[in-house]
Amino acid sequence: METLSAISGFLSKITMYVACFCLACLLSVVIYGVVLRYCFNDAPAYVEQVALILVISVAMFGAAAGVRDATHIGLDSFVNLFSKEKQLIFLVLVYICSFAFAQFLLFGGWAMGLSTMGSTIPTLGISEAYRYLPVVIAGALISIFSIEHILALFFKRKVVSSWN
Amino acid sequence: MELTVLCLSFLFFLLIGLPVAFGIGLACIATFIVEGLPFETSIQMMTSGMNVFSFLAIPFFIFSGELMLHGGIADKIVNFARSLVGHWRGGLGLANVVASTLFGGVSGSPIADTSAMGGVMIPIMKKEGYSAAYAVNVTTHASLSGALMPTSHNMIIYAFAAQAATGMIDGHVIKGVSIGDLMFAGLIPVFWIMVCMLITAYWQAIHFGYPKREDGSTKLEVFPGWNAVLRTFIASLPGMAVVGIILVCILKGIATATEAAGIAVAYSIFLTVFVYRTMTWDRFLKSLAKASKTTGIIMLLIGVSNMLRYQMAYLEIPDAIEHALLSATQTPWLMLLFINVIQVFLGIFLDMAAHILITTPLFLPLAIQMGVGPVQFGMMLLLNCALGLVHPPVGSVQFIGCAIGNVSIGEATKTAWPYYLAIFVAINIVTYVPVFSTWLPTLITGHPVF
Repeated sequence: METLSAISGFLSKITMYVACFCLACLLSVVIYGVVLRYCFNDAPAYVEQVALILVISVAMFGAAAGVRDATHIGLDSFVNLFSKEKQLIFLVLVYICSFAFAQFLLFGGWAMGLSTMGSTIPTLGISEAYRYLPVVIAGALISIFSIEHILALFFKRKVVSSWN
Repeated sequence: MELTVLCLSFLFFLLIGLPVAFGIGLACIATFIVEGLPFETSIQMMTSGMNVFSFLAIPFFIFSGELMLHGGIADKIVNFARSLVGHWRGGLGLANVVASTLFGGVSGSPIADTSAMGGVMIPIMKKEGYSAAYAVNVTTHASLSGALMPTSHNMIIYAFAAQAATGMIDGHVIKGVSIGDLMFAGLIPVFWIMVCMLITAYWQAIHFGYPKREDGSTKLEVFPGWNAVLRTFIASLPGMAVVGIILVCILKGIATATEAAGIAVAYSIFLTVFVYRTMTWDRFLKSLAKASKTTGIIMLLIGVSNMLRYQMAYLEIPDAIEHALLSATQTPWLMLLFINVIQVFLGIFLDMAAHILITTPLFLPLAIQMGVGPVQFGMMLLLNCALGLVHPPVGSVQFIGCAIGNVSIGEATKTAWPYYLAIFVAINIVTYVPVFSTWLPTLITGHPVF
C-alpha cells in the first residue's frame, strides 16, 4: 500500500505539473497568435491545432489529477442517508466505476489512436493519433488512482493530496 | 430498451455518488454496447466534443478568475463598495451585494466570488453585529450574478450546448447562438439581480435591526466623503476593467471570445504582478493548478455530454419530451412556467455545467417554438442553474459560504427565503419580458437578438 501511495503521489504531482505546463503553453500560443495577427498581419495556421491538442491535454491530465484529489463533482445527498459503514460500500463502488471509466479511456483511446495513426493533423503534419495520447495516459492514471483509493478504503488509510 | 439502459444506469451512477462526468460516460457506453454501435465511436464523440476552438475560452476564463481570486483584487473592490454604501442601514450587507456583483464580473464564477468576498466580508460583518446567516446569505446570493457576467465560462458551455439550435422567430432565422450576444445579454439581468439583492438585504437589515452589536448599540459607519469614494474606485478600477476589456475586444472585432479570454488572463497576470504587486510565485502556481483541475473536470463533462447528446438524438428523447409537454399545453407562458419549474427541480440535483449540457438540447427547441430565442433562453437557464447553487442538496456556493461563516446550512437556509424570492422574481422577469435580455445586445451589435 505504501509503495502504491508513493508511486501514485509522484504520478499525481507529475500529472499536475504537466497539466499546468500545458495550460501555460496554451495561453502563450493563443496570445502569440493574436499578437502576430494584429501586429504583423500574419496569423500562423498551426496555432489553432496546437491549442486544440493542448486543451485536450489540460483537460485529461487535470481530470486525472482530480480523481486522486477527489475533486470531481458528484451527488452525495442520497449516500448521506446511509450509515457510515454503508457509505464505505458506496465509496468502493464509486472507485470501481471510476476504474471502469478509466478502462474506457485507456482502451478506447488506444483503439482510436491506432485507427487514426495513418492520417495527419492539417497544418501540423503529425499523426492524428497524438490527439488520443493524453486520453490513453489519463486512462492509465485514473486506473492507478482508483486502485489506490479502493485499497486505501480497505486498509483505512487516507489518500493525501500531493499538490496543495 | 436502450432508453431504459441509458436512464436507469445514469440514475444509478448519480445516486451512488459517482462523479457526474463518469456517470454520464458509463451510462452512454452501456447504451452504445446495447445498441451494438462500435466502441470507438463513443471515444471519438468525447474527444470531438472537447476539440472546439471556442472552448479554449473556458480554461482562460477559469484561470483569469483564479488569478483575480488569489491576487487580492477582492479587498480593493470591498473598500470601494464599503465607502459607497457602507454608511446606510445594513451598510455592510449592501456593500457586500455591490462588491460581490462587481467581483462576479472579475471572476465570472459564483464559487470564486463567494470564496473571495466571503473570506473578506463575512468575518467583518459578523464582527460588526450582523448574524452569520445574514452575512452568508447576502454573499452567496449576490455572487450568483457571476454566472451571467461576460467572464463566465458557463456562457461558453451554454453556447456550445445551444450551437445546434435552429428555428424561426418573428421572421428571423435562428441558428446557434453568438457568445458576444450572450455576454451583452447578461448585463441588465445582472444589474437587476443586484437591485433585487440590495432591496432584500436592506429590508432584512431593517427587519432584524442590523448592525446589532453585542453591547446593544446600532452605530452606523460614517460616510467617508466623495473623495474617498473616488479614491477607492480608482484603486479598484483596474481589476474591474477586465469586463470592459473583454467586451470591447469582442465588440470592436479585435479578438474572438476565446482570444479575449486569453487577453483577460494576460491582463490579470500583468495587473496582479506589476500593478497591485500581490501575486507571488506560490499564489500563481496555486491559481494555475486550480484552473487546470477545474478545466479537467469541466472539459471532461463537455466531452461526455457530447456522447449523451448523440444518444439523446439517436433515441429521439428531445422529441418525446417536446411531444409530452406540447400535449400538456400549447400556451407559451404556461409552457415557459413548466420549463422553469423543471429547471429549478433539476437544479436541486445537478451541478451547473451538467445542468446546462443536459437540459439545453431538451428545452431550447421547445422554447424557440414558444417564441423565446436562444439568448433569452440562455439567461433563463443560467439563472435557474444559479438558483441551484444556493439551495441544498448540491448548493456548492451555499456550502462554501456556510463553511466560511461557520454556520449550519439549515440555519442559513431558514432566513434565505427572501433571497430565493428575489431570484425567482428575476427569473420570471427574464422569462416573460424578452427585452430585458435582448435589448442591450440588439442595441450594441446592431442586429436583432432573440
